[in-house]
Amino acid sequence: MNNDRHIARAFDRDLEAVQALVLRMGGLVEAALSDAAAALEDRDDALALRVREGDTAIDALEEQVNSECARLIAIRAPAASDLRTVLSVMKIASSLERCGDYAKNLAKRSVVLGTMQPIPGAAGSIRRMARQVGLLLKNALDAYIARDIGLAEEVRQQDQDVDQMYSALFREFLTHMMEDPRNITACMHLHFIAKNIERVGDHATTIAEQVIYLATGSMPGEARPKGEAVISGDAG
Amino acid sequence: MMKDLRLESRLDTLTNKIEARKVQVYYGTNHALKDVDVNILDKTVTAFIGPSGCGKSTFLRCLNRMNDTIPACRVEGLLTMDGEDIYDPRVDPVQLRAKVGMVFQKPNPFPKSIYDNVAYGPKIHGLTRNKAELDEIVEKSIRKAALWNEVKDRLHAPGTGLSGGQQQRLCIARAIATSPEVLLMDEPCSALDPIATAQVEELIDELRAQFSVVIVTHSMQQAARVSQRTAFFHLGNLVEYGETGQIFTNPSDPRTESYITGRIG
Repeated sequence: MNNDRHIARAFDRDLEAVQALVLRMGGLVEAALSDAAAALEDRDDALALRVREGDTAIDALEEQVNSECARLIAIRAPAASDLRTVLSVMKIASSLERCGDYAKNLAKRSVVLGTMQPIPGAAGSIRRMARQVGLLLKNALDAYIARDIGLAEEVRQQDQDVDQMYSALFREFLTHMMEDPRNITACMHLHFIAKNIERVGDHATTIAEQVIYLATGSMPGEARPKGEAVISGDAG
Repeated sequence: MMKDLRLESRLDTLTNKIEARKVQVYYGTNHALKDVDVNILDKTVTAFIGPSGCGKSTFLRCLNRMNDTIPACRVEGLLTMDGEDIYDPRVDPVQLRAKVGMVFQKPNPFPKSIYDNVAYGPKIHGLTRNKAELDEIVEKSIRKAALWNEVKDRLHAPGTGLSGGQQQRLCIARAIATSPEVLLMDEPCSALDPIATAQVEELIDELRAQFSVVIVTHSMQQAARVSQRTAFFHLGNLVEYGETGQIFTNPSDPRTESYITGRIG
């Protein structure tokens, strides 16, 4: 990675500014995810509402990143590592925006679930999974700041654990639904939540891959590790 | 390696037109070019980039022995075109320059008519038998240089009366009138406005179907736009040579990276 300054120092400032926006997005998304999971476990509708409202800020930041990047490309014609920085910033912002949507969706479902008979242990498991995924997201962004390929590779590997947590939850919800059909509505909501958190993990992996692209100029070669083959009856 | 789709679609073969092996150039005691090894591909645009004084123009001038005219200049190593040594004593530099045409930074039309500027090369090389053939070559060359419509009604007006962009295209017409196999261009657009630049760049892209084009440019964006291969020179060394898209997205040498991203290297 090139740490020298540009001769045109405004170029450095522009690149730094756009990267700062993405990091701010990352902070908001991490918080949204953990707040949404807390709202689910604590049945805290007010917190859930705040998460839903907070998504607007994340969306606005993504738009800002995109327009800043367009401006940078038009004005600076970035090349080599500068070009890769701009491209990866745009991809990371789009991943984070999706993650924000998933957190918002979790918050929405948590309000609905609050009106139903709780499924024992489910909210706690979801929160643990959200914490694990939040950590992946944080590590992916830390790897981005430090251009740390090692840490990025770790994130790629650790996404397997998330996939396994999802599979375990999926089986658990299936069991609850078979035991008592009155659990079906709640379990369907919980399943979507688990699936969405698992997708946040995929986005963390995407970000980690962008770090590798940014630092090396090529995407990681081998397909990323898969935790488990699709479980029979699994929808996703 | 990154694939250039433009290259794939237009090129049948990747044959070497010019090969350089361990080329050294000295100006007196100044070692201006060191150990340059490069293959210039046929029917391909190759861009030479690098800071001032890096040796890119010096190397360009080796390719048609323009350096012969500088007394203190010494060229060592092997330079071949189609496998034949360019510096073989039996090679006539004038004949060589008919095959390896050159366009310079500043448009330099002869103080003659537009027609005579283009007819000059074919005449001295005896490429035509009669006036009709000469007329044909002149028209074809000016058309190829995308200048015909602008000058067809005033072919006998002085070439120096044209605008800068037109003069440069006239010089290109003059350079291609002898049907060269290689066209060397030393910053051909640095004195032109953006429209004339775009016209010359479009022309370069068309000429690629017939010639191998080597262009020295200070504009990184121009190198990226017009070339399929890029060579980066620094302090007399050929630092990196490769597919243009690759060089501009992921150069392998930190000096290339610093230069093309505009950093203090």
